[in-house]
Amino acid sequence: MKVGFFVGCNTAFNRPDLEKAVRYVFPALGIELDNLEGQSCCPTWGTMPSIDLVGWCALGARNYAIAEEKGVDMITVCSTCHGSLARTAYRMQTSPEVRNKVNELLKEVGREFRGTARIRHAVRYLYKEVGPDEITKLLKHRLDGLTVAIQPGCLSLWPKEVFIDKEEDTFHPKVLRELCEALGVSAPHYKQLLECCGMGGMRSTDMEKSFRLVERKMTSMKKEINPDLIVTGCSSCLIQFDTSQEFLQKKGRIYFEIPVLHYMQVLAICLGAEPKMVTGLSRTPVDNIIKRILQG
Amino acid sequence: MKIFEDLQTTAEIALVKNNLAEEIKELGADKLLQCNQCAKCAATCPLVLAGFPFFNKRIIQAILIGARETLLNDISIWACQSCNRCTDLCPRNVNPYEVILATRRMAVREYALPALAVEGIRSLYDVGHAVYLSESGNPRRKLGLPEKPPTTLSFSNALREVQAIMRKTVLADLGIIPMEESANF
Repeated sequence: MKVGFFVGCNTAFNRPDLEKAVRYVFPALGIELDNLEGQSCCPTWGTMPSIDLVGWCALGARNYAIAEEKGVDMITVCSTCHGSLARTAYRMQTSPEVRNKVNELLKEVGREFRGTARIRHAVRYLYKEVGPDEITKLLKHRLDGLTVAIQPGCLSLWPKEVFIDKEEDTFHPKVLRELCEALGVSAPHYKQLLECCGMGGMRSTDMEKSFRLVERKMTSMKKEINPDLIVTGCSSCLIQFDTSQEFLQKKGRIYFEIPVLHYMQVLAICLGAEPKMVTGLSRTPVDNIIKRILQG
Repeated sequence: MKIFEDLQTTAEIALVKNNLAEEIKELGADKLLQCNQCAKCAATCPLVLAGFPFFNKRIIQAILIGARETLLNDISIWACQSCNRCTDLCPRNVNPYEVILATRRMAVREYALPALAVEGIRSLYDVGHAVYLSESGNPRRKLGLPEKPPTTLSFSNALREVQAIMRKTVLADLGIIPMEESANF
């Protein structure tokens, strides 16, 4: 099995330890990663999507064309890349006018969008192509007895209609929960589970308002399930939870600290990766939780 | 269903009175006039939770009454997370999120966009990534990764493709960022 790794911006530059985790997990599960050489930004919402529909789809379609030429689907650990690229393909498939204009633009750079490659969320890809039971069998370390708070990531869920590996019910998601349970943890519901973490356009527009959302989420999970660890399915959520806690503590808005990792990082450690290499850039300390994982 | 039909008519009257709605439609929000202001989208919107004055339902309302200046003077449209909960929930398939993106496109044409957005667009053109940290080479190397990921950063031909595409869009006419032909990095 082979799949293209759409690495995106935040993973490559902000959290390359997460990139490292993906590059460890997939081969360890027998899936070869293609580099999709020459890929660009997805492009993210604040750029071409906010300027011009055809320009947005053209940059997205160029990324698809690279995967098509290699005959692979793409995976991403970033919900924004997942959302932007899925919506690009959806527009191209449902609007012949947009598709024609995009292909005219692509022709000038020697590319073509044919619609044969798909963008798939890495977490959902593993759920469907490998499965929780198979993952359990391959674990070197287990997380038995731990409680995690899960954070799937908005654009891994909505809008359902544009995604390949969709949840049956996007308002009762189960994929990330079941994959966490496959590692031995309990991943109970908390009231704010479905809410947005506040990263993305909101954080660049108004950090104070953005932090209100992450504070609400953290307070909810602490009070209701008191988790040992937050596990996200999205690189943006990872960055938001990881970088906001110190600020919230200094301001006296939270009086606790919860380590946070992307599912790919937890899985990498459970499959035998050197923890420093796949979590080394965490700002909220993860040393204690990693010690417990390595004991399991 | 009578009330829905009436509101639909209100929307159509609004369209006659102002060209804002027509402009937003043409910029990608083709289902705009299907909105009957039920506010189901608002009930699920992170902008509401965070306390922004404008969010999906109110943005559509502002468009329908032609309140162009109000929208241009408010930052809320740029704080939309593109989370698409509203897309899934809208009972009239308005796709409120597409309306917000189209409203941003209108604002960009009036040069009413935040400095951070300009920075992201410029970075996308210059290196192929909207988010780029030039100091990331060192942490990448320490993790045993190549200093540059296998993207436009590593392949200058690929970057030139991205730039050629961007120069063929309305971005070139707007002149928001410098768009020189070839990049050196």
